[in-house]
Amino acid sequence: MKKKIWKKLMSVVLCGAMVFSMAGCGNTGGTNSSSEADSSAKTSSEKTDSKKTTVGFIFVGAKDDYGYNQAAYNASVAVEKHFGDQIQVLRQENVPETEEASRALEQMIQKGATVLFPTSYGHLEPAMDVAKKYPDVTFFHQGGLKTMDNLGTYFGTIWQSFYLCGIAAGANTKSNKLGFVASFPIPQVLANINAFELGAKSVNPDATTSVIFTGSWSDPALQTSSANTLIDKGIDVIAQHQDSTKTIVELCEQKGVYCVGDHADASELAPNTWLTGAVWHWDDLFIDMVQTAIDGKFDGSKYDGKYRGGLKEGVVDIAPFGKSVSEDTQKKIEEEKDKMINDDYNPFSDEIKDQKGNIVCKKGQTLTIDEIESMDYLVDGVIGSTK
Amino acid sequence: MKDKTESIKQALLTVLALAVMVVIFGVFLMTQGVNPIQIYGDMIVSTLGNSYGIGQVVVKSSPFIMVAVATAISAKAGLVNVGGEGQLAIGALLATFVAVFVAKSMPGPVGILLMLVAGALGGAVWSGLAGLMKVKAGMNETLTTVIMNYIAYDIVSFFVYGILKDPESFSWPMSPEIADKLRLPEIYVGVSIGIFGAVAVAIVTWLVLKKSACGFRLRVIGGNAEAAKHAGFSVAKIQMAAMLISGAISGIAGMVEIAGVEGRLRTTTGVNYGYYGFLAAWMAWNNPLAAIITSVVIGFLCVAGNVLEQSSGLPSSGTKILMALVLLGILWKGKGRKKCS
Amino acid sequence: MFITSLLSGAIQCGTSVLYGIYGETVTERVGVINLGTEGCMVVGALAAYVCTYHTKSPLLGILMAAIGGGVLALLHAILVIGRKANQLATGLTIMFLGLGLTSFLGQQYVSVSIDGLSMIPIPVLSGIPVIGTALFNQDILVYVSYILCPLLCYLLFKTRLGLLLRATGEDEEVVFAYGANPKLLRYIGVVLGGMISAIGGAQLAIAYTHTWIENMTNGRGIIAVALVVLAGYHPKKAMIGAYIFGGAQALQLLLQAQGVHISTFILQMFPYLFTICALFFASRKKVQAMPAELKKIIESSANS
Repeated sequence: MKKKIWKKLMSVVLCGAMVFSMAGCGNTGGTNSSSEADSSAKTSSEKTDSKKTTVGFIFVGAKDDYGYNQAAYNASVAVEKHFGDQIQVLRQENVPETEEASRALEQMIQKGATVLFPTSYGHLEPAMDVAKKYPDVTFFHQGGLKTMDNLGTYFGTIWQSFYLCGIAAGANTKSNKLGFVASFPIPQVLANINAFELGAKSVNPDATTSVIFTGSWSDPALQTSSANTLIDKGIDVIAQHQDSTKTIVELCEQKGVYCVGDHADASELAPNTWLTGAVWHWDDLFIDMVQTAIDGKFDGSKYDGKYRGGLKEGVVDIAPFGKSVSEDTQKKIEEEKDKMINDDYNPFSDEIKDQKGNIVCKKGQTLTIDEIESMDYLVDGVIGSTK
Repeated sequence: MKDKTESIKQALLTVLALAVMVVIFGVFLMTQGVNPIQIYGDMIVSTLGNSYGIGQVVVKSSPFIMVAVATAISAKAGLVNVGGEGQLAIGALLATFVAVFVAKSMPGPVGILLMLVAGALGGAVWSGLAGLMKVKAGMNETLTTVIMNYIAYDIVSFFVYGILKDPESFSWPMSPEIADKLRLPEIYVGVSIGIFGAVAVAIVTWLVLKKSACGFRLRVIGGNAEAAKHAGFSVAKIQMAAMLISGAISGIAGMVEIAGVEGRLRTTTGVNYGYYGFLAAWMAWNNPLAAIITSVVIGFLCVAGNVLEQSSGLPSSGTKILMALVLLGILWKGKGRKKCS
Repeated sequence: MFITSLLSGAIQCGTSVLYGIYGETVTERVGVINLGTEGCMVVGALAAYVCTYHTKSPLLGILMAAIGGGVLALLHAILVIGRKANQLATGLTIMFLGLGLTSFLGQQYVSVSIDGLSMIPIPVLSGIPVIGTALFNQDILVYVSYILCPLLCYLLFKTRLGLLLRATGEDEEVVFAYGANPKLLRYIGVVLGGMISAIGGAQLAIAYTHTWIENMTNGRGIIAVALVVLAGYHPKKAMIGAYIFGGAQALQLLLQAQGVHISTFILQMFPYLFTICALFFASRKKVQAMPAELKKIIESSANS
């Protein structure tokens, strides 16, 4: 009888070891793992020091999605590097936009966090619940339009970049048909699509943009299928609002259609067909926000409310141009960018019609941040459905 | 006597298997430069060491318990209902509809009751469709329920992006927040009375299945539908009833999620709860009481996983790996002495 | 043009699922259900990607994928055959394990690029109008999926091993009578099934998208397990299931690109609605019944 139990036990161990060895093998096989992440893992496991400020970040997706979440994650790493021993950083990824977010934030507060960054739009309401409960904790929410005494929101006007990308696309297209692979019809995404189309139309009145919503932030197979579908339709520039942008960029290079990136510079993946792309620069902003909180100056600072950074503040930008973008186009884009930085030019101004012909922006009017960030329509020239 | 020593041995073996898995994961943590003892300590202290943590484990487990019981009921009728996910979603959707459009001006208890009925109805409609396809067209319920989970998700999205969209949330895809009076009363830190409902449902189901004639009939059919048919049972009727009850319970889980936990419907509300509940049920061999335990284990791992991630700096996949290892440890016990009859 | 797009899209969206169906069909034929097919596929995707990245050989990548998927399936087999653990619960756990392990191990590979498999047009055949480019201008793994159908049919229905495998799923006594070991045969079936499914993951990673990202199979393995029923537990009809699903997917993307005024969420339901319709029609005819041993498993666990 005893023998049998041993045999069983041995097989448990063997089985576990098998799983574990799979883990081990893969791990040593990896190259250039981000050493920052590793070191952060070590520092954050140390016991909370009472003198240190603890800063917590939650992300809605994976930190290495090469998109929205990685941009914010990298900034959290920059914060950790900048403040060194002064702060302790807690992170959690893949936090869904439900009460799960409250739980994650609450657990961070119990671990001593006094500054929290819920970095996805849908984390807003859960964060507000927690903020009500803990008035001494400072919250910086990414993308929200509601604020509280101890909860400010920040975001980047990334649609400015998409407008500039649209110019490059409109100038380069030969078929006058542009494509856009998007995720979900949420306001942030719709604003980017609209800005892209407006940019394209500003240099090429015939340009239209066909949109496909994949219903996922990163499903490479669906991205590929969507892009292929667009290409089959004769579309020769493809932009995207997805995490993990690499798939479509590489596909465009292979198929010989122009591509516009998102979140990060991917020009080296498509040396021939890369136009430009929208990119985030969160680092300095995040560091400044944390500094403000540490100094106890949140109340009354510019972050105590709705803070929006754009091209001017350096929070968003466009990626370097690819070789297919002509000198003239580059000059035109730089001019527009200049206008946005120095003259506060906003492309969402003057008469704009939506798909159905309704006027969404009157002559002489300029849309406010609230109006832009709560868009639920697509502008005239975009082919696709919002609902 | 012999039976007793045998079951003790089985229990010990499970504990041993679990310990081995915990040690394996500990070694894994060490390779990542993390002190496993400290992390394990952290995980236990933060979940079981304070009222908030305990409350959260309970909150997280409640929907799992309900879906698990729902899964068990259909399983007893010989049906593999993988559709808890979709039934929960449609239940939550209908409950939200009622809360937003109908129950706004009603007194709280009436509104809650109405939401409950709507939730149950939503879940029952969704499982009933699969049930109908099964008994009328002979369509395999495993396939239809899986597929209908995806359809349910799209339907919820359709409404949350459409007429259920909160006019005050700047066009973002979420329903309006339901009125405070429609929220389930809180009985413990963050815990609504929903947990009582979940446990009660489990106990009642266990009693009915074990003791009543109805439960007997169900088990006969589950055991061998052909034989039951020859014995004069109306297999179709009973399977249909099992599906409807099962869906209603999952739908109530969705309603509790809205009225007790979330307060509003999003496309991500309750995502994966159906699968966790399904897992809990089959791990417990569809015994409703045992399913409470497996559900709490899964709920505990979900909540403790947050702390694991925050404390260790590991990615969220670490939690998934730990959960899988622990569950494998429990599954290792296998069918044990319970041989099928 | 529309038809070519649709057909080619159907094949591209359906191939990974097709491998999943093939794999799970073999598994279920020996009387085991593996809900962890999703896990096998995602392990296959990562293994293929990593191996292709390091060795520059997609062929080795496919081999690695098969091994990886096989190992995970072996774990399932040990638990459900060796330990008689509950099949459905174990399968789901295996899926979580596969997803968790791969997203952990795959972190460093999200950003790297590979030279994967590319489209290879088959001379002459790819010149056929309308269907030529759709069917015969694909990657190697698509062609393999065409050939795998008759191959699996042959294996399962014409060889002694196949006969024994099927007998294991139908009636263990028969296998004993042949002097074979049903346990061993089950192990073979489950592991083989996992290996085949994993190639579906490899197809996604190194042939179709040339990308690795966590959870990239995105439920295709779960769909595959469901579609096995539609395929009547027969590799012969696996393609129908896979391409109906893939075709509906391709159709909804095409309609979106056309700018039809239908909600995207309704369009995104297409693959699932089509699958249910297909099952409806398939169920009207006499369908291949579930392997008896599999039925027993589900019934007995319901009744314990």
